Formats: sequence, structure tokens, C-alpha cells
Amino acid sequence: MLLADFGTSYCKLLDTAQNAGPQIIPARELPRDFQADIGTGHNAKRRSTSTVNELTALARGGRRLISEPDFTLLDCGSRDIKFVRFKNGEMADMGWNAECGASMGFTIELLAQYYRLDYAAVPVPESGFSVTCGVLGLSSIFDAVAAGSSELEAAAKFVRGIARNAFRFAGSPERLHLSGGLCDNPLFTACFPCEIVPLGRFVLLEGLRASPQESFR
Amino acid sequence: MNGIPMNSSQAMHNKIGIVGVPPLEIIRQLNEAQAIIVDLDEPQLFLPIDQSDQYLPRVYCAILRTVLLNALNLRLERIYVDVGPGKCDCALHVAAVLKDILSIPVVATRNTDTQSFGFPVCQSSLPLIEKMRRITKGVQSCQPWPQLPSCPPTAGFWGVPPRDFSILAPFPDSTHIYGWTRCMENKTPADLELESYCNPAVPTVFFAQSFCAKTALAKHLAARHPKALWVDCDVSAGSSARAKIEAFLELSGVLGGGRAAG
Ligand code: SF4
Repeated sequence: MLLADFGTSYCKLLDTAQNAGPQIIPARELPRDFQADIGTGHNAKRRSTSTVNELTALARGGRRLISEPDFTLLDCGSRDIKFVRFKNGEMADMGWNAECGASMGFTIELLAQYYRLDYAAVPVPESGFSVTCGVLGLSSIFDAVAAGSSELEAAAKFVRGIARNAFRFAGSPERLHLSGGLCDNPLFTACFPCEIVPLGRFVLLEGLRASPQESFR
Repeated sequence: MNGIPMNSSQAMHNKIGIVGVPPLEIIRQLNEAQAIIVDLDEPQLFLPIDQSDQYLPRVYCAILRTVLLNALNLRLERIYVDVGPGKCDCALHVAAVLKDILSIPVVATRNTDTQSFGFPVCQSSLPLIEKMRRITKGVQSCQPWPQLPSCPPTAGFWGVPPRDFSILAPFPDSTHIYGWTRCMENKTPADLELESYCNPAVPTVFFAQSFCAKTALAKHLAARHPKALWVDCDVSAGSSARAKIEAFLELSGVLGGGRAAG
């Protein structure tokens, strides 16, 4: 069975009939006629036989990957951020921010390409911009650069602002499990004021493995 | 009751706009006079909502922006706007704007009716959108509700009738309605106790229109409820609001797919 998490920038695929692990393909390189058996995410309706809601996939993936009964799991995608909070093994709270969380991940990646930044080499700044949206946040960077800041410093403040905003959105927990491509961004993960447990990019795929369509085969 | 009483010849076949739930006495007069009642809270015209920007801020309750759009573009004889504890201060201010910009009478009423009509539709097994349609339509009549069999609830929807009913689509038919919509059906819109009631035994979505004062009550009640989701929507339900509701119902075991068991 072919499972797919259709992100805005990247598509994560897993063929459960093969022993190989999941694959990551840039969304724009996906063949036009590509169809998955079970899909989640942006474009899943168009490209899969059956679909699972993204928050449901995130929650199910979290339950499979995290052994604790109480946890908060935040997924930072290219286009949006979403979280689920479990208490005593039961879903207790959730949130999905596609409006104010818009394009945060996408903008972080765009900045790295534009300014040729290596986030692993960028120190965590002492303070950050107040950023609620990737697109609006860009103007803070341009203003700071125009006022004499280095591009590196301004971009770091932007990333810190985004991390702090995502942290508050997830309910400011002491320990936060993180899902999505930004798990691999050391500056982003270091900017959270709490303990971070990165789970990588395949949490939603893991959630699809737990979907009834998959388990009833 | 306050407001201007009308005689039957005044209202005969005239279109009268209402906002909120005007006092029963007004509705009785309108029914007796066979007036055509138009609910201005609901979209009545296919017009872009931005046309209300001329008189109201863009960041404002979408129901009242709709009221303004309807009032400007429908040929109405008069308008009754309920203001005060049965509606909200925003309606009071919009009534003042309407009085200023329209040439027809705009009558502000304060509905403090306490006679309970019951809420059979809220507890019925009708699809949630149909429940909402009947309740909003029911405001136009002074008659008691026909009996409807009730069903045990498996989910709850708390709040006002949303501007965009599509957010109600994912709910099962066994969803009970709570909050101000229940007060609406009961014809006691100022009954804060009834409005604040919710059922802790069923997963409940607490809904308010964005920029409405009731967002505070929705958030507060949701925080105290053992299984709740609080959402607000503006003009139309975005895909993330709908998806949030869908996931909440799935993960609470209300919809097929069940709990997020590992
Ligand atoms: S949604 Fe809230 S602000 Fe809007 S009309 Fe209703 S009570 Fe007033």
C-alpha cells in the first residue's frame, strides 16, 4: 500500500509492501498522474484513493511514536503549523494555524537560499522579532537590514520569532515533541525555550500506518 | 417590550427586516399583520461582503457586516434590531449606524422575554444544518414548536448560528445544540444561564464568530469542558477550521475512524 504525506514543498512517501524506508520528493517533481492509496496533507484529495485529515494523522503518528501518556506534539510545515496535546493517553487539545502561521517553514527555507545561510552555523540570538506570519515577518528582516543589522543576524531573529510563536501556539509546554522538516534546522530547534524532542519528517506517514484503511487490510 | 407597535395595515405584505431575536410581542404583531419577515443576520444577497466596508470596519463581526449589506440593498419597510442582553453591544452600535444611513425606521428593541418555548430541535436527530435552519427560521414565528422526538447526544455544538453553515457539515445527526442558538429556539435570547449550559458528557465544539464578545465565553467554557474544541470563524469557514472540527470529532471517537490509538 502506498502512503503519502503531500506537503506543500515536499511529498513524503512510504510503500508498505517494500522494506525500504520512506522517501522524500520535492512536490514539484511529483509526476502529474501520481496517486497514493492513502494520503494526507495539501493536495491529498486530488492524489489519493482515500484521505486522512492532517491533524488526525499527526495525532495517530504521535501515539505510535511517543510512549508517554501526556505529550504535546507540534508539526511545523512549510505552509502551516498544527499541534495535538494528549493527556492520560487521550486527545486533550489541538490547534491548526494556516492563517497566522502561514508560510513560516517556507519562508525560513527561502531565506536560507536567498542569503546563502547555513543555519547550523548561525548562533541563537538573544532576542527575536515578533513574528506571527512568515510573509509579514519578511518585512522585519528587510527593515533590520536597512537599519544596519547583518543579514545573518536579522534572519536569526526572524527564526527565533517564528519558533517562539510556534511554542506559544502549542500552549507553551515544558517539553515539546517536534515533527516536520524544521526538526532538521538546528537554529530553529535551539530557539525554543523548552526541551525539544525532534521526531523528524515522517510522523504523519506513521499516522497513516495507523489509519483504519491501512489496519483493516 | 419596547419599540414601535404596528397596525396590520402598516405591515400587510411589507418586508420587515429583523436582526437577532426581537421580543415575542413584535413578532406576534408582524405575524398578525402577515408581514414578510426577512432575517438580516443571514446572507440574503450574492454581494461581496466588502461592500459593508464603507460603514463598518473590515475587522468586525461578519454577521453584522451581513446585516448592513442586507439593509442597504433590500427594499425594506422597517427594521427591528434587537440590542442589549439578548444580542450584543455591537448590534446596538450597528443599529445607530443604520438609523443614520437609512431612510426607513430602524427600531432598537431589548428582548428580555422569559417565557420558555423549549428546544426540541436542538435535541432532535435532524442533520445539524437542518436543525440550524429550522431554529433561525423559527425566530420569525410566535408559535410554539411542533413536537420532535429527541435523541441521545453523541456530540455538542455550542454557539451562535455561524455565518457559514458549512462548518456544521462534519457533525453527526446526533449532535445537540447548546449556547445562544438554544436560547434562540427557546425564545429567551437573554438567558445567560441557558446560554452557558453545556453537556460535559459529550465532546463539544465551542464556536463563536470572530470579533464577537461571545468568543470570551466560548473559550472559557471550552477550557472547563473535559473534551472541547474552541473555534472561531469570520466570513466563511476556512479549510483549517473545518479540518480542525473534523479531526476533533474523529479523535474524540464521535466520527468513524475512532480514537488515535497507537
Ligand atoms: S456574532 Fe456576536 S457580535 Fe456578531 S451579532 Fe452575534 S452576538 Fe453580536
